[in-house]
Amino acid sequence: MPDYGQIAIGGGTLSSSWFLGLAAILFTLGAIGVLIRRNPLVILVCIELMLNAANLTLITFSRQLQDLDGQLFALMAMTVAAAEAVVGLAILVDISRVRELEDVDELDELKG
Amino acid sequence: MLAVAVFWVMAVLAVLGGLGVIVSRQPIRSILSLVVVMLALSVLFLLLSAQFVFAVQVIVYAGAVMVLFLFVVALLGPVRERAGGRLRFQWWLGSLVGVVFGGFIYSMLQGAHFRPPQRTDLSVFGTVQEIGLGIFTRFLYPFELTSVLLLVAAVGAIYLSRGGRAGAGRGAAAADGGQARREEEPHA
Repeated sequence: MPDYGQIAIGGGTLSSSWFLGLAAILFTLGAIGVLIRRNPLVILVCIELMLNAANLTLITFSRQLQDLDGQLFALMAMTVAAAEAVVGLAILVDISRVRELEDVDELDELKG
Repeated sequence: MLAVAVFWVMAVLAVLGGLGVIVSRQPIRSILSLVVVMLALSVLFLLLSAQFVFAVQVIVYAGAVMVLFLFVVALLGPVRERAGGRLRFQWWLGSLVGVVFGGFIYSMLQGAHFRPPQRTDLSVFGTVQEIGLGIFTRFLYPFELTSVLLLVAAVGAIYLSRGGRAGAGRGAAAADGGQARREEEPHA
């Protein structure tokens, strides 16, 4: 059974597993960041990191299967990420008018 | 062999940037580390023959979205994280969950078998022409839905960012909420 995971790029071949492993490492770093950081802005940045790792996975599979749908999905994911960043940052700016933005653990009540 | 060298350089750069995002104390350093990660990933997209996604990643993501983050940092001022949080053992438990999660993903990758590719023409794969053909034929409905999503996000962001101030054209309920908030907060 041939190894379909090999991708011929330029003169050499790269394994899809390397790209997927890199995406897994970046996603795990983002998840750890969301769990251990307390600054809400940094948590948003870590979510962006996870979305980027997911995009790398989509594009890797797009190239390995030679199917363009993965790249189109990645573009949609970028749109969703941009919308998420805009709304999240607007909420942060709105919160920062009322109270200090140091710790997300202090934002535990719905009343501003 | 050049492609392999480029992959490893960019992979190491991306992982270092990702570490920088989660360990740096100041938010501005986290954001600039994320820009490094995004630029390294854009080079990897180019390796995977996704030219259009590469351009979008550099212009929209590393350009526009990150500038938005930097603006918010400039608006809020330097916010440093305090040493002790309310949750005990948060650091250790978070790292433990992350390591277990990474182990799961790694074990999934170990047993991966890849499907055979479709053998399309790779000389035009990922170009603007092909992407446009895909977006405006098979993906027309999701594409239009993303435009609605962007509109909703823009309107929502404008509404939220005007929330604390009195302005023309605001509803009576919102004005009451703003009045109450201003009374609590003398410097606003």
